[in-house]
Amino acid sequence: MNRPRPAGWEAPVTVAELVDAGPLAGARMYGAGDQPVHQVRIVDELAVFATVAPHTAVVLIGAAAGGGWAVEMAVRRAWEQAAACVIAPSGGPSEGSGQVLAERLGITLVFVDGDPLVTAVRVASAAARPEAARTQLVARCATRLAEAGPSARRVLGVLNAELPGTSVAFLDRYGAHVAGRRAAHPSPAPQPPGSGHTPGVAPGPGSGLGATSAPSAGPGTGRGARPVTGGPSGTGADPGGGSRTGHTGGSGPAHGPRSGDSGAGSRRSSAPAAWEAVPRPGGPGSRTGRAGAEAGPAGDAAGSAATGPGAGAASGSRPAAAGAGGDGGGRGGDEGRQAPERGRDERRQAAQRGGAVLAEVEVTGQEGDVLGRLVASGSSRSAGWPAVVRAVLGLAVAPLAAWAATERLRASRDFALQAALAERLLRAGEPGEPGEEADAAAREAAVALGWPTRGPVTGFLLRPFGEPAQAGSRGPQGADEAAQAQAVVNAVVGQVPVLRRGEGWAGWSALDPGRLAERLRRCVEAMPRPCAAGVGARVSGLDAVGESLLGAEAGAFVAVAGSVVRADRMGPAELLGALPAGALRAPAAVVLRPLLDVDRDGSLLETLTAVLDEGGSLRAAERLGVHRNTVTTRLERIRAAGYDLADPATRLALHLACHLTSAPS
Amino acid sequence: MTAVGPRELERFAAGSRLFATGAADSSYALAHDWARAVIGDGVPVRQASDLDPGALCVAVTLAGSTTALGEQLPRGDEPERAVRALERRLGTRAAAVVALNLAAENALIPLIAAAALGVPLIDGDGTGRVFPLVEQTTYTLGGISAAPLALAGASGELVLLETAPDRVEDLLRPVVLSLGGWAVAACYPMAARDLARVVVPGTVSLLLRAGTPGAPRSAAAPYGVRTLCRGRILAVEGSTGHGGELALPSLPSSILVQESDGLRRLIRLEAHNEIVLALADGAAVAMAPDQICMIAATGGLVVDVDKAAPGMEVEVMVVKAAPVWHTQEGLALGGLRAFGIPL
Repeated sequence: MNRPRPAGWEAPVTVAELVDAGPLAGARMYGAGDQPVHQVRIVDELAVFATVAPHTAVVLIGAAAGGGWAVEMAVRRAWEQAAACVIAPSGGPSEGSGQVLAERLGITLVFVDGDPLVTAVRVASAAARPEAARTQLVARCATRLAEAGPSARRVLGVLNAELPGTSVAFLDRYGAHVAGRRAAHPSPAPQPPGSGHTPGVAPGPGSGLGATSAPSAGPGTGRGARPVTGGPSGTGADPGGGSRTGHTGGSGPAHGPRSGDSGAGSRRSSAPAAWEAVPRPGGPGSRTGRAGAEAGPAGDAAGSAATGPGAGAASGSRPAAAGAGGDGGGRGGDEGRQAPERGRDERRQAAQRGGAVLAEVEVTGQEGDVLGRLVASGSSRSAGWPAVVRAVLGLAVAPLAAWAATERLRASRDFALQAALAERLLRAGEPGEPGEEADAAAREAAVALGWPTRGPVTGFLLRPFGEPAQAGSRGPQGADEAAQAQAVVNAVVGQVPVLRRGEGWAGWSALDPGRLAERLRRCVEAMPRPCAAGVGARVSGLDAVGESLLGAEAGAFVAVAGSVVRADRMGPAELLGALPAGALRAPAAVVLRPLLDVDRDGSLLETLTAVLDEGGSLRAAERLGVHRNTVTTRLERIRAAGYDLADPATRLALHLACHLTSAPS
Repeated sequence: MTAVGPRELERFAAGSRLFATGAADSSYALAHDWARAVIGDGVPVRQASDLDPGALCVAVTLAGSTTALGEQLPRGDEPERAVRALERRLGTRAAAVVALNLAAENALIPLIAAAALGVPLIDGDGTGRVFPLVEQTTYTLGGISAAPLALAGASGELVLLETAPDRVEDLLRPVVLSLGGWAVAACYPMAARDLARVVVPGTVSLLLRAGTPGAPRSAAAPYGVRTLCRGRILAVEGSTGHGGELALPSLPSSILVQESDGLRRLIRLEAHNEIVLALADGAAVAMAPDQICMIAATGGLVVDVDKAAPGMEVEVMVVKAAPVWHTQEGLALGGLRAFGIPL
């Protein structure tokens, strides 16, 4: 690839990244997993730990993985060496205690189902070339997206499956949710509690050891605060209940006394207090303790006396491992085991809810119109992760554009379909009402079709004149012409719905009435038979578009063929202009016949028109340039012809007849 | 000169179970009653160095299962018959009896043997603690062979094993099984001068002192004892094995204890016949050859590994082994690797 990678693409992968979207996918992870992985070490005996460098993923095999005690010791040694994580084969009986210990120490423990050696090779390659690993993820996403085909839901499904720990949502151009995980909506949620899940305080190894029985571990690894197993004396002094913050870079204050503190007695007393002060990652002890206690007699026996936070969490999870209490105990165990699991999930979800937006990509249709945005949010688990997420989101743009194009093609082929969708949108109820799902589906389709669904819209109506050019020649009556109208409108006005309204076709657009009228004029010209169009007033949203459509209907009705009338500009002249003059001329002649019979020079008709137009004989005389007695005389002659000018209905009919008769034909 | 008479017997018996399991078992009560019945005026307790250097000393121990002892009652002559058989094989009379270890029944059976034979009991034993195998003794570390070894069963059987030292355990176990699950073994025949060299000395007097009412439990630990933690047993798991192919009488298991106070550490006790390794938050804090045992918070008795159950409140204590066990040879015989843990 020639395109330079965005910054961070080469940043070291973290354990969480490996588990969520890398070679450890599907593995069970205990701990935060926020440590970067620089290299991998296969450990078959504990002695190897002496040479394990910081930021190493330790893969346990053979004797080092053989049993709970071996895994626990490995976790401990890995923590002392500041390793990134411990990867152990699953299936051991002691995952529960390993998990408790991992959370206690703040180191990540991962159980894998497959061959640990194969895992080690994969992790090593990912750690050595984070760029390659991320490229691999991107490639896999590309393949899965290609398989997903043009469907917004499937595309978002792939994104959320391949980017676990990250929520991806597809929002329309108004910011409303279309598909994907709703959690991804950017919201002003409170920030996650930071690095609180990495305890700032590590437990010391506790009561010291007799000098002669001190097992291994020797002096610390040069990070003064690291506790050292095996004190020099057998007095039981805690040799270093120190803090580990020095190397994790965690932001938590170092609660524990440094190993430089003097006085073994004071250490012993202060270290436990410090430990209590640290929020346990598993959440308050009472919760997990309760979970254990709920589960029956055996769980109860172990969980009831849980008082402190530490004890609560641990005894909640412990009876599990026992499994010795028969049925009740077994259940209790499961409950207990799940409790920390739940806690972890909730923690992660909380982090996601509060998580910043990792990446955001605009989705444009194939015609360059904006369909919406893809927004990914979650916790940034490594410096490289946002760049990877952005790249994957970028991959999804083309399938989404294809999805939109496919939907548009389908809708353009099928007038009834898109008309039905439009009707559904017009009638869409509030969320929570019956049919909500169908409404959501309609809204999703509207996004694909590029229809305006939010904000100010303007209704319009296209009205044909005369008979259809080729009525009934193909398909149901008018279907061809409707499709034709839709095609013309879409070509000229843009992606808007077109639905049947009476004889004509209505719709709405986000354009303002002026521009819409301009575009419709071109539509009217393009239609094969004479048409007129009306444009309604601009309304605040789709729910008020009915009002706008009424105006459009009126406008279209008063518009003469080939013209476009805006309802917001319509006056009496337009109404009069809309009168079917041709059709009314004959009846008008009948109404006026008695008058015309006596009106040899047309002066009587002229006078009647003037009187009705001006609303009185005085001004009529002025307009005609005659004396008002002349007008009075002529009105007498008109009355004599049989017209009762005092009757308003007669006046209106005569006025209309005059208007039609005098209007140029 | 010290002697174990009827009154001292009670102190000795009490001292013998301070760090030993099975004190509540019927087999222990049986051994106690047996000893009461035969103790007579008392059994003299002698230092090995006080004997004639060439005098024959014989180690006496219960071999097999204590549960079986409680179920198949002894005839009463087993200790004497076992020692006599060894004497016949060697052509020498035993001048003294010494214990293999001083845990519960194993402290009382040599006393019963000494009373029956009318010989003194040596003030000392072959471990300073308990190991599951007959060959795991300071005697072996001192180059003394357990064989020839005589076994007397409850139905009058008598078996004499004569083999290479490292084959004794292999041969012993099936034989004991076919004898009904337990037998009294007379073994490690050696001269008093050798015994003085290899014995863990003074442990009988120590138990007599430690068994005195009011004496602290730590008095029974000659080389020091410490409390690892007080806590509650969270779980007892089958362990996935400790690597090596081992011929130990029981299956490995793992006991998880949550420390009740202090750092609330997670203590894992790896057990194979006995607790051989203690981890606190994953760090090894105690291991064989030191003896790790759980003392029940209620009753103060040592909790058998097989009887540990979730919910029990225990105190985990570490009894320091005799210095000889911390030598290279001692670690090879009674250290972690002897229990299959490659540390």
